[in-house]
Amino acid sequence: MKEVLLEVNNLHKSFEGVNAVDDVSFDLFRAETLGVVGESGSGKTTLARCILRAIDPDSGTIRFKSQNGWVDLHSLEENNFVPLRREMQMVFQDPFSSLNPRMTVRQIIEEPLVIHGEKDKTHRLQLVSQMLDRVQLAKNSLTRYPHAFSGGQRQRIGIARALVLNPSFIVCDESVSALDVSVQAQIINLLEDLQEELGLTYLFVAHDLAVVRHICDRVLVMRNGKVVERGNVEKVFSEPQENYTKLLLSAIPSPDPDIKLNPLDRKSLGLE
Amino acid sequence: MDPIIQINDLSVQFRTDTGITQALDGITFDVERGKVTAIVGESGSGKSVTANCVMRLIQPPGYITGGSIQCRPKANAAFDIVSLPDKDPLLYDLRGGTISMVFQEPMTALSPVLKVGNQISEAILCHRNVTKKQAWREASDMLEHVGIGDVERRMHMYPFEFSGGMRQRAVIAMALVCNPELLICDEPTTALDVTIQAEILTLIRDLQSELNNSVIFITHDLGVVAQIADYVVVMYQVRILEIGSVHDVLKDPLHPYTKGLLAAIPGTAPPGQRLQTISSVVDPKELETPYPLVTLNNGRKVSLPNNQIRKGT
Repeated sequence: MKEVLLEVNNLHKSFEGVNAVDDVSFDLFRAETLGVVGESGSGKTTLARCILRAIDPDSGTIRFKSQNGWVDLHSLEENNFVPLRREMQMVFQDPFSSLNPRMTVRQIIEEPLVIHGEKDKTHRLQLVSQMLDRVQLAKNSLTRYPHAFSGGQRQRIGIARALVLNPSFIVCDESVSALDVSVQAQIINLLEDLQEELGLTYLFVAHDLAVVRHICDRVLVMRNGKVVERGNVEKVFSEPQENYTKLLLSAIPSPDPDIKLNPLDRKSLGLE
Repeated sequence: MDPIIQINDLSVQFRTDTGITQALDGITFDVERGKVTAIVGESGSGKSVTANCVMRLIQPPGYITGGSIQCRPKANAAFDIVSLPDKDPLLYDLRGGTISMVFQEPMTALSPVLKVGNQISEAILCHRNVTKKQAWREASDMLEHVGIGDVERRMHMYPFEFSGGMRQRAVIAMALVCNPELLICDEPTTALDVTIQAEILTLIRDLQSELNNSVIFITHDLGVVAQIADYVVVMYQVRILEIGSVHDVLKDPLHPYTKGLLAAIPGTAPPGQRLQTISSVVDPKELETPYPLVTLNNGRKVSLPNNQIRKGT
């Protein structure tokens, strides 16, 4: 029996009357990867941010199975939320703006430990070094600044920072979208290796359907704040039921020149 | 073979306080007239620098340190873009006239404070001696041509009132309005949603077959290359590794780096398996050695040592 880690029910969030997240419900199982796909403006990032309470949802419930049992994230006071943030972390899209250029790699990866009260300096350094190994960065990276690293290496630093508190749940918000395809492959492999080793659970927000198909077990397809289709990723991709999913899939350019791009027409699908 | 652009042994350097960076290292290739030539490579491979050289947009601390770019327009005599003086009138004709460019980020290519209609008309007024009224009319026709409806109203709108896809259509209209012989597209769909990307690719493809102009299409996405291009130039770290027809290169890549790029695309690996990376396919030492680009019997070009070039090709 699969164990539920996160339960989202009837989640709503609107900005100035626009429904960014509109009645979204789903369960997330431990050690699985759930993809969230859709065009820009479909509400996928807002959904991810509501779950981590980076923004407050208008209504609905979010329940998370922490080390100390179930908690209601939606009604938690900020003060009580802090210890929970050890267990849920985020890896951002832009490896440039998500790292402070004036902090060394050591300071960046160490900061979550400091915030969460790890007072022993030697222990902190030890954890940071272990993390560096985990994400396959050289030991001499510790004293260097983000500008000295390539996009892929910076994304590794971001992953190390997210993992240093030993969380169980990671939100990846377009975490590989800004990377070149060869570097993207390395980071995807790293995320998969880490999941296997540490039993991590990923909510994987992305607009690249090929990446989602590769890395995810299940997928939610979002449009205008609503989940329009969901299910096993292979099933959804090979037998899409909804016109919107069909539209998204038909727009992927194949690297095989014999398979001609023939995108479906939004109008004729009644999606305007 | 009738190339519109012949790039020969082109080199570019950036000279900064911290030293000299080679941005292009003696690259040579032709851009066929009436065809789409894609340049594909990772960030830093030199694909945008190449495009900027063709437009002579390299500015200090960047310098073209050697080579030539022969431009062969249909009506006029051929000339070398590299050796033109900075203020040569031919250069002004070239930029936006004979050759025009579509950039990655439509919002930075458009002025936020001018109406879309004025910006497209401006391109016409720069290159041709027509009245403002006439320019406005032609601009509006072109905007309609690139698939924007309700042009009377949209011509009077500002870029911020356009969606990302519409902005890129407006930039394409701006680029095509002077009937360029060569259109350079520098990652024109990278910032767009996959659905909008498909629309823009279809638009560029349709316009190209209708106008029969030549296109240089820069991208890092082999899926896009497969769908838009006739020929492809594979670049890696300021060099060219492979040149050939799209069908040859993507169906039967000769250089291990091209194989690696193809294998790294998610969706090619069976689910549950790790993706291939460049370093799992190519020996990095092999990749760093600048072997000369060899032309094979079938016209394909590849940068490999002699003993690795397949027999019979």
